[in-house]
Amino acid sequence: MSAVAVGPELPSDVDRQLEGLPAAELAVGVLTYNNAATVPSVMDAVRKGFEKHFAAAPAVLINADAGSSDATVDRLAEAGLPLVRAHHDAPAVQLGAVPFHGVPGRGAAMRLAVTVARRLGVRALLVLEADVTSITGEWLERLARPVLEQGADLVMPVHARHRYDGTITNLVLAPLVSALLGRRLHQPLSGPRAFSARLLERLVGEARWPESGRSMTDLWIAGTAAGGGLTIHEARLGRWRVESNTRTTDLPTMVAQTLGAVFAMMEEYEDLWLGVGSGSPVPAEGPPVVPSDEPVQIDVDRMVGAFGRGLRDLGTIWEHVLAPDTLGDVLSLETGDPERFRFPDDLWARVVYDFALGYHWSVVYRDHLLRSLVPLYLGRTAAFVLATRGRDAAGVESAVAAVDQSFERQKPYLVDRWR
Amino acid sequence: MTSRGPRDWYKDAVFYEVHVKAFKDANGDGIGDFAGLTESLDYIQELGVDCLWILPMYPSPLRDDGYDIADFNAIHPSYGTVEDFQKFLDAAHARDLRVITDLVMNHTSDQHPWFQASRSDPTSRYGDYYVWSTTDRRFTDARIIFVDTEKSNWTLDPVRREYYWHRFFSHQPDLNYDNPTVRRAMLDVMRFWLDRGLDGFRCDAVPYLVEREGTSCENLPETHAILKEFRAVIDHEYGGDRILLAEANQWPEDVRHYFGNGDEFHMAFHFPLMPRLYLGLRLEDTRPITDIFTQTPAIPAACQWGLFLRNHDELTLEMVTNEERAFMYYAYAYEPDMKLNLGIRRRLAPLLDGDRRRVELLNCLLLTLPGSPIIYYGDEIGMGDNVYLGDRNGVRTPMQWSRDRNAGFSSVESGQLYLPVIADPVYGYEAVNVAAQTRQPSSLLNTMRRLLAARKTSSVFGRGSIEFLRPRNAKVLAYLRRHARETLLIVANLSAAPQPVELDLAAFAGATPLEMLGATSFPTIRKEPYFLSLGPHGFYWFRLERPGDGDEPFGIERTAI
Repeated sequence: MSAVAVGPELPSDVDRQLEGLPAAELAVGVLTYNNAATVPSVMDAVRKGFEKHFAAAPAVLINADAGSSDATVDRLAEAGLPLVRAHHDAPAVQLGAVPFHGVPGRGAAMRLAVTVARRLGVRALLVLEADVTSITGEWLERLARPVLEQGADLVMPVHARHRYDGTITNLVLAPLVSALLGRRLHQPLSGPRAFSARLLERLVGEARWPESGRSMTDLWIAGTAAGGGLTIHEARLGRWRVESNTRTTDLPTMVAQTLGAVFAMMEEYEDLWLGVGSGSPVPAEGPPVVPSDEPVQIDVDRMVGAFGRGLRDLGTIWEHVLAPDTLGDVLSLETGDPERFRFPDDLWARVVYDFALGYHWSVVYRDHLLRSLVPLYLGRTAAFVLATRGRDAAGVESAVAAVDQSFERQKPYLVDRWR
Repeated sequence: MTSRGPRDWYKDAVFYEVHVKAFKDANGDGIGDFAGLTESLDYIQELGVDCLWILPMYPSPLRDDGYDIADFNAIHPSYGTVEDFQKFLDAAHARDLRVITDLVMNHTSDQHPWFQASRSDPTSRYGDYYVWSTTDRRFTDARIIFVDTEKSNWTLDPVRREYYWHRFFSHQPDLNYDNPTVRRAMLDVMRFWLDRGLDGFRCDAVPYLVEREGTSCENLPETHAILKEFRAVIDHEYGGDRILLAEANQWPEDVRHYFGNGDEFHMAFHFPLMPRLYLGLRLEDTRPITDIFTQTPAIPAACQWGLFLRNHDELTLEMVTNEERAFMYYAYAYEPDMKLNLGIRRRLAPLLDGDRRRVELLNCLLLTLPGSPIIYYGDEIGMGDNVYLGDRNGVRTPMQWSRDRNAGFSSVESGQLYLPVIADPVYGYEAVNVAAQTRQPSSLLNTMRRLLAARKTSSVFGRGSIEFLRPRNAKVLAYLRRHARETLLIVANLSAAPQPVELDLAAFAGATPLEMLGATSFPTIRKEPYFLSLGPHGFYWFRLERPGDGDEPFGIERTAI
């Protein structure tokens, strides 16, 4: 195999593999990097899903691998589908410190899968993650059915997660991305998703793919679909469990990478969000799944303490990043008694928007800027936990929805200062 | 007032003790007032303290500097009105400053209407408000406290023709706490001020509330029961963040009872520590300081010691041995006028001969030993005293704001001031004042601000345990303060000469000491003794930072995205 170049052209070895393949109706893209331990369970789900729901539909498995050194690629045959294998380039830095989503060079891998699927002329491409072991055959049906039968162009996942899972997603990413794109997306960076032929065609024809290696590709695709007036659905997929040795659990890194991806998308694709109005919910498919509600150990005191240390240590950076009113409000937050700590939604939205503006205007070195958000995120998360731990599931959902609404309400604040 | 911050805010607080009459005169009558104090709140806030302790502010004949209260529910007319107090309190709260005031529970002035009614009509509802007797032979085991002025704890009242009980001056009759109406009345007094938002009381002379035959009439179980009853009512009615601070000049093991099981006083003064800080400094020996901590019992988790270097009274030497007292007089009161009762009536700076390094060193210890520090007004700029003013007036002179007339305290003719300002060439207001020290970055005032700011960066100072290290060099005091995951190391040189010290920090091998006042990292600690050198009266505040500190999980990492 040879490396895939950026662009609609496919490497010759991939071209050769395509020549021998029959026409396909469905394609499954699996992006891998040293996932030998978990690929079998993903392949098992693929096989069962096709047997049960799409037995009559010709299908192809597309693998984009970042250079696995284990048996990942060999285990892909267990799906029982014709296989197209490709290797994509990944920046060396991402091979050393794998990004939050677990796949070095995910943007290039995604482009490869999209290009192959388009070449095959499929009606739908399902993209799966190789380290998500909670996948079942039903996921394929719930992702594909809206494309095949309901006219959806992009199907995004909604996982049933514990109320305190996904705090970056729930408190930062989802409200920010939803406010930007004008579509209420619950998990904009979660991996599994489905593309229609129309969206594939649009993407392959796009000259503005993000640079290889940037983590903003998923966001750009969602923005392109939303901005192009295409139909976005969500699919309820059930619980989300990852078994990965490569995904980081370092909070500053996660915050810097995920938020950095959003800010970079904002910077390079202003047309996808600047003029977009208020958000609308997207249709959701699949039966609601009750999230796990078992008690978890969250050290709220330490989180508030970390916020307090941020106030002490990062004030000089925040003075550059936050607007005076925002900074004043942040400094006024009472940290003396962690149990009574509060962080209002509107203030949080302004904090995140000020950071986006600080990134935009490069008021400080961008990596420092992104990492200095961590104590604020910890404070906001602690306040969220404190405010919701006595609530039922509906109460938690409404608290999350209130964060979304704050970001939407404050968007003019961002737009006014961006230009 | 709405509740602000944690209920145990006093554990992290730095207190600032102030006389209303001495701080700022806004109405030009030569006496400080609440309007003046309100004008001065920016200064107090910028100093970096958290809570003001206001000395008695009530109407009084002032025969005991206000500790003889004639009306609990009003303000002394020289200081303003209840409305002025309310404005002051609201302005303080707006700056996140809390306020506690002195309250004398044990007795009133003989001018108080309660006493006047009690003496004139024994059958009135006030007839039993005080401790009356037809004989002066009761409670004979109780000592006389003011032996210089009082011959007995009983005085015959010519109006009622009965004896009344008083543990202090004869013009201060003791209230009868066996009378439930008196207890209710005192609770109503407390409610009067707490309803206005006051954050608590410094309760004067608490050991003497109840009398029983055959006892010393001090620290009785009945007294503790009443104090617990008061505490429970205040906690219940005001949400639990109003505090009671006990004045009980006793040994720590005796004061310990005033904390109860965390259900009596929130705080009490640590009286014996203070003279031992001065002793240790003068002897250049750490033992007086470390010894007193071995004699200090543990207190309930919700309670706190109040630490101080100086206050409005004489530097009391009741809690030292005769030998130590003789040395203290030799070292710190070499002129007879400097002594008063069993103590020394001088301010901090002149006690230390105006030596900046020693003043800073004692403040370092005040701010880093376990407890909540109390700073006496004016000591933050090194104000002097005037031992010739009589009683304790020499340490209660007007605050020195500037080199303007009357030190900027008042616009009145200087002869009309309640006390003259300090005007000597060393400590006088032209040399020592707020305005000058504000402008000078290296002034004592600015150093105090930096020390207080550094103290605020860690809850260890107010909440941590203490563990003394035992270096061979007994001139160097070194101790660890620990709370939760944080450890601080304080090292202080009690000597006037530079000192080396080797500390056994093997348990912290791998940690890096970060000096907190200059944010300088020192060499990493190894198994071998850690060597430091200190300048004369020098000190270090270190935070011991281990590799990986802060890496403990919050519980959200694995699933944060």
